[in-house]
Amino acid sequence: MRFLCHLILSTTSALAVDFVREVRPIFEKHCYECHGAEKQKNDYRLDIKAVALKHVKPGQSAESTLFRFVSGLEKDTPMPPKSKLSSAELETLKRWIDEGANWPDGVDVAKLEDKTDWWAFKPLKVASDSAEDSAKLELKLKPLSIDAFIEAKLKEKGLTPAPRADVRTLIRRLFFDLTGLPPTPSDLSDWSDLSDERYEQLVDHLLASPRHGERWARHWLDAVHYGETHGYDKDKPRFNAWPYRDYVIRALNNDKPYARFIEEQIAGDGLYPGTVDGITALGFIAAGPWDYIGHAEVPETKLDGKIARHLDRDDMVQNAIGTVCSLTIQCAQCHNHKFDPITQEDYYSLHAVFAAIDRTEVDYYPDDASMQKFAALQKQKKRLADQIAALEAPLKQKAGEAYTALSKRIDGAAEKGANPNAKPDFGWHSAISPTQDATKWVQVDLGKSVQVERIVLKPCYDDYGKIGGGFGFPVRFKVEVSDDPEFKTGVSLVWRKHDATFMQDFANPGLKPFESGTAGDDGVTGRFVRVTAVKLASRRGDYIFALAELEVYDSKTGPNLAAGKPVTSLDSIEAPPRWRKTNLTDGIAPESRSEEDKKQLIRQRDALMLAQADEARKKQLVALRKERDSQPALPAPQKVYAGAVHYGSGAFKGTHGTPRTIQVLKRGDLKQPAQEVGPNTIQALAGLFDIPFAVWGHNESDRRAALAKWITHPNNALTWRSIVNRVWQHHFGRGLVETANDFGRMGAKPSHPELLDWLAVTFRDDLGGSLKKLHKLIVMSEAYRRTSFPTRSGNELENSFYARQTRRKLDAEAVRDSILAVSGKLDLTMGGPSFQDFVIDKPQHSPHYEYHLHDPEDPKSHRRSIYRFIVRSQQQPFMTVLDCADPSMRVDKRNESLSPLQALAMMNNGLTVTMAKHFAAHAGSVKRAFQLALAREPTAEELAALEDYAKREGLENACRVILNLNEFSFVD
Amino acid sequence: MLTRRQLLQTTGQGFGALAFASMQAAETSHRSQVIAPKAKRVVQLFMGGAASHIDLFDFKPALIKHHGEESNFGEAVEAFQNGLGPWKKPVWDFKAYGQSGKMLSEAVAPLGACADDMAFVHNMVGKTGVHSQGTLLQATGFNLPGFPGMGCWVSYALGSISDNLPTFVVLPDHRGFASNGPKNWDSAFLPSQHAGTIIYPGAEVPIADLFPHKNGRYISARSDRGGFDLLEKLNRKHAALREEDSRLESRIQSYELAAKMQLAAPEALDISKESDAMKTMYGIQEHRKVWPTEINAEEEADYMGRKCLAARRLLERGVRFVQIWSGNDNGFPRRNWDSHEDVERDHGPLAWGMAKAVSALILDLKQRGLLDETIILWTTEFGRMPSTQGGKGRDHNPYVFTNWLCGGGIKGGVVAGESDQWGYKPLDRANPTTCYDIHATMLHLLGIDHEKLTVRHNGLDRRLTDVHGHVIRDLLV
Repeated sequence: MRFLCHLILSTTSALAVDFVREVRPIFEKHCYECHGAEKQKNDYRLDIKAVALKHVKPGQSAESTLFRFVSGLEKDTPMPPKSKLSSAELETLKRWIDEGANWPDGVDVAKLEDKTDWWAFKPLKVASDSAEDSAKLELKLKPLSIDAFIEAKLKEKGLTPAPRADVRTLIRRLFFDLTGLPPTPSDLSDWSDLSDERYEQLVDHLLASPRHGERWARHWLDAVHYGETHGYDKDKPRFNAWPYRDYVIRALNNDKPYARFIEEQIAGDGLYPGTVDGITALGFIAAGPWDYIGHAEVPETKLDGKIARHLDRDDMVQNAIGTVCSLTIQCAQCHNHKFDPITQEDYYSLHAVFAAIDRTEVDYYPDDASMQKFAALQKQKKRLADQIAALEAPLKQKAGEAYTALSKRIDGAAEKGANPNAKPDFGWHSAISPTQDATKWVQVDLGKSVQVERIVLKPCYDDYGKIGGGFGFPVRFKVEVSDDPEFKTGVSLVWRKHDATFMQDFANPGLKPFESGTAGDDGVTGRFVRVTAVKLASRRGDYIFALAELEVYDSKTGPNLAAGKPVTSLDSIEAPPRWRKTNLTDGIAPESRSEEDKKQLIRQRDALMLAQADEARKKQLVALRKERDSQPALPAPQKVYAGAVHYGSGAFKGTHGTPRTIQVLKRGDLKQPAQEVGPNTIQALAGLFDIPFAVWGHNESDRRAALAKWITHPNNALTWRSIVNRVWQHHFGRGLVETANDFGRMGAKPSHPELLDWLAVTFRDDLGGSLKKLHKLIVMSEAYRRTSFPTRSGNELENSFYARQTRRKLDAEAVRDSILAVSGKLDLTMGGPSFQDFVIDKPQHSPHYEYHLHDPEDPKSHRRSIYRFIVRSQQQPFMTVLDCADPSMRVDKRNESLSPLQALAMMNNGLTVTMAKHFAAHAGSVKRAFQLALAREPTAEELAALEDYAKREGLENACRVILNLNEFSFVD
Repeated sequence: MLTRRQLLQTTGQGFGALAFASMQAAETSHRSQVIAPKAKRVVQLFMGGAASHIDLFDFKPALIKHHGEESNFGEAVEAFQNGLGPWKKPVWDFKAYGQSGKMLSEAVAPLGACADDMAFVHNMVGKTGVHSQGTLLQATGFNLPGFPGMGCWVSYALGSISDNLPTFVVLPDHRGFASNGPKNWDSAFLPSQHAGTIIYPGAEVPIADLFPHKNGRYISARSDRGGFDLLEKLNRKHAALREEDSRLESRIQSYELAAKMQLAAPEALDISKESDAMKTMYGIQEHRKVWPTEINAEEEADYMGRKCLAARRLLERGVRFVQIWSGNDNGFPRRNWDSHEDVERDHGPLAWGMAKAVSALILDLKQRGLLDETIILWTTEFGRMPSTQGGKGRDHNPYVFTNWLCGGGIKGGVVAGESDQWGYKPLDRANPTTCYDIHATMLHLLGIDHEKLTVRHNGLDRRLTDVHGHVIRDLLV
């Protein structure tokens, strides 16, 4: 009522505050710097009515946040932060609000830009639908084709298309574009009669070649930033990343429809269960870098742990939306996207899609049939277990304490009357300490220096103080190895467990032996092994350190090297036979129950429960148990490093399937969480393209399935435009949109928007998402077949309109593969673990990838570059200097540089120097070498110069020169 | 096979006839260079593993007074390995140096001679206490991989001074890379020639592929020279038909520059002609072959001295940005600054060796008149806690740490930004200094507006300073 009165007053009063004359100047003076056209801190601006009034309650200045801020009523947020409004200005503002905040329409100095008003956010449109200008009208008359669009534009620009390239050039171009390898001289003669029909046959031939998938997989792996080490600190290898790389090659060679290709990579486990591809494709989610230390050593309860996991999800979101939809989603992390219609909430709701998963290893079986067989088997086992559990539930109740007692014994829990000490020789025992933080050590002399691979500490059992298992096992300790009995020099800390046991309290293990160091992870050398406790085990008001047995192994299966070896310690209690130093290496320790004992106990428990059942239930239970026991065992699965639910322990526990809570973070700051969000996608686009985002089920994977289906929806113009643009780019050296990873406002506009849309629609509908058909459509065009030489008739240098082809510099992989191919050394073995062209130094801790120690003669490294083991931190120097993709970032287009370092690499690197020798042997003559490398005959002058040089310096040197020719690295 | 000496005598002569303007020298500087530069060159000293500010440069009497008392930070503290034991006093005594009276630890005593040239920032803050992220942040301005190192940006903006040496040189710790390895100096989205070039002074192969691989026994000095000549001849024929494509000409020139580099690099790294006095000043013990197995100060000075002397020679010959690393990635025995277990054991030798060599570098540049146009930055990924971890060690402290600068345009003898009484957080918590500020200041001294040095990548105009950074006026002359 009061508000109404004011409103009436304000419209009737002759003294009403005038917004333009009185209020806006205040905003200009004090606010626009941070809340105007240039900056919109907190997404707030005072130059646009619709936004400004969000913080104004007309008629209620005291309730209006705007007024509260500027008048100092909100002490935490004084506005403006560095100056103050005068009392007159405050009074004007107050009156203006109280009078109803009258802000006339049409006086705004700025306009709120419609972020959706941008080409990429319009639905796909086929050019023939509209005929607005003559060029398009002309298009209508001809059947639509790539050339129709290109030529219409050339005509419009007054440009003349260049003629077709010669046969040799076309063959070389097609070979490199479609397979990444040079044509051999016999390929050249096979296809020398390149009629239109033969050209098409060559295209089909190359698309059918397994080399095609290997070539194009590399382009995809660039975009998804696939690597085979974690990156960050330590940069540990991922030995099971390759099944994803093989998946991509297989999918491309089998011409998997694009929608399914994407769906499998984001949610194959949910959408295509029981398929190998549905699992291995998930390597996509895990392709990028991962902060190992931030996960493995820092739990999610700490801020640093949260930051690591946030960065991890950010990478997943970017890979999905950035790669497949070509949007810069990451820009909405700290605030709403400044240019594109993506809100901060959208961004975090995409985090929620991936909230349950981590990067981890996932099991799969080699073919779909076994996948289904074993999935069914697993399901069957689960079903039986559930049924048995249901039947047993009431019986457990009935059996009461007897059941509990047996269960306890089965779980290995020590209890009175079941002393697990087989012999009275308990172990070694330190002197008693009145304080817990005293340091005590015990060590074994192995007699000689050995490479230690594994150390096992077996806990004691003693009923004293009702402690039982784990008696005297230290709370914090470290295990070290040295050749110095004093442990003053050359001390190696047995790694990894270091932090879990030395820096943090270690939970009492009961009778479970403690193991440290595993193959490939640790591996330290020394004669003495010492265990130092820095926080002792509590007894009854005092503190001790005791161990039953210390075992040392130098291999997985070898004998215990510590057996019977002498023991020394800081101090000890000698109370034989129970406690004495020699007990530490006497091979006697309380065993947690043997497997046979355990089985026996389980049988006892089963019988106990059966005894509680009535006849009918007994029969049922016996039958079910029999069925359970007759189920075959599952074979050992294969593993792929993928994005999936992680079932871990310790700091890197994973979610075990329950999605993490995702909140919008103010300024992207984990210390400022705001409202919680559920899984969703970019809402503005869901509306514009009319694509619902719906999570159908309750499984974790249903969230990803919903996103996958949203991305691949036929209406999602971004997805379809993005892929045809990427393919086009690799055939023409430049995309129709030059920024293939960014279709937003900060990116480029398409040079041929109608062509782009026509290609996208044709690909989606007519070609059924077949990438091979898309390749064929493109390379069959006249535009593709043109010469790359400029003609005199009005060709522009930039070649923005495809009047001619673009001469291309071969990328790092094509250069390397070509060098191997012409040298007769290329090994075309497909798939499987990657070859390593480095030696791993210090694998036990932080691997050093030493490329210079690799012998280029090693035949294992003569496979195609796609099978190279891709290290993230330390990239392969030769490939890097040739601008190969950096696997730490999503690469849409390779850089193309020329530098003296590149020249040095091409001249002197082990690969070129070694292969030049093989090239010479393989070719046998200068002429043949020339043909192999360049797919043409040398001119008389070229031949003479090379032969003359070869005569003086040998064919190897001539071959080294040929590999360095510009023509070897450029394709016309 | 070609020896280095043979190459020095012969290679490259075939290129003399060609007088092309250097491809790189011709590169115009970036539009971001708008301020009159005070400096031309940079030396960045990076202490891998996180060097302790409170044991080296940031004197905290309160820690001496309260040594051994239960630490009380006045708030809950998250430490990487929960190293929140009692307060621990500095391991070494501090002494005042120079006119400025700057208090420095005994561990870095040799730097006392330069105290009046050095400017300290004791209120640096990081983002996390994880080595990889911290190192990336200080080296590239982002705490995740995929961004160019500072040297790459400087190379991109200013280009090269010399056409026969790389623009941005990295001298890693010879025992191994620090956290993230080359990710700290990769070019990322900048063209690859801006990446840091790794040089191992004194190594058999100081720069990768500078000379033919050992499998090339068929290569002689003569065949190499003839090969370069023939290559150029054939490439020119090929390029003549494709005149519009400037890349082909550039590639021809790149081979000429490569040959020049083959001559220039070994000469730049050859310290045999330096005087004994000079080597001694840098801490180099040229003829010493045997060192103790344990880490020790003299050996560390020798290693660091060789790097610093190489840096001076490279700077003199036109290298624009030299990054020197001390400390490898975590490993045992520890050879880095990550002193969780024992500050005295690791920091002692590393710090003294560093101080000996770096003070020599500063004095040497000064006597040659080069210090005025060379900025020296000493940094690390974060600091260490004023509380103890296990008695002798200290845990990570990303909440405050120290940087110091010196040389071109830097005001000596000042402290711009203090830490609190413990060295736990900045004294003025609302106004800490970040790597963005340091980077902005250094770019400013190089004549670059850090907000204008941008490259569009995946939809964003990327900067070294992200969306942050203020030039620290207190540091400027």
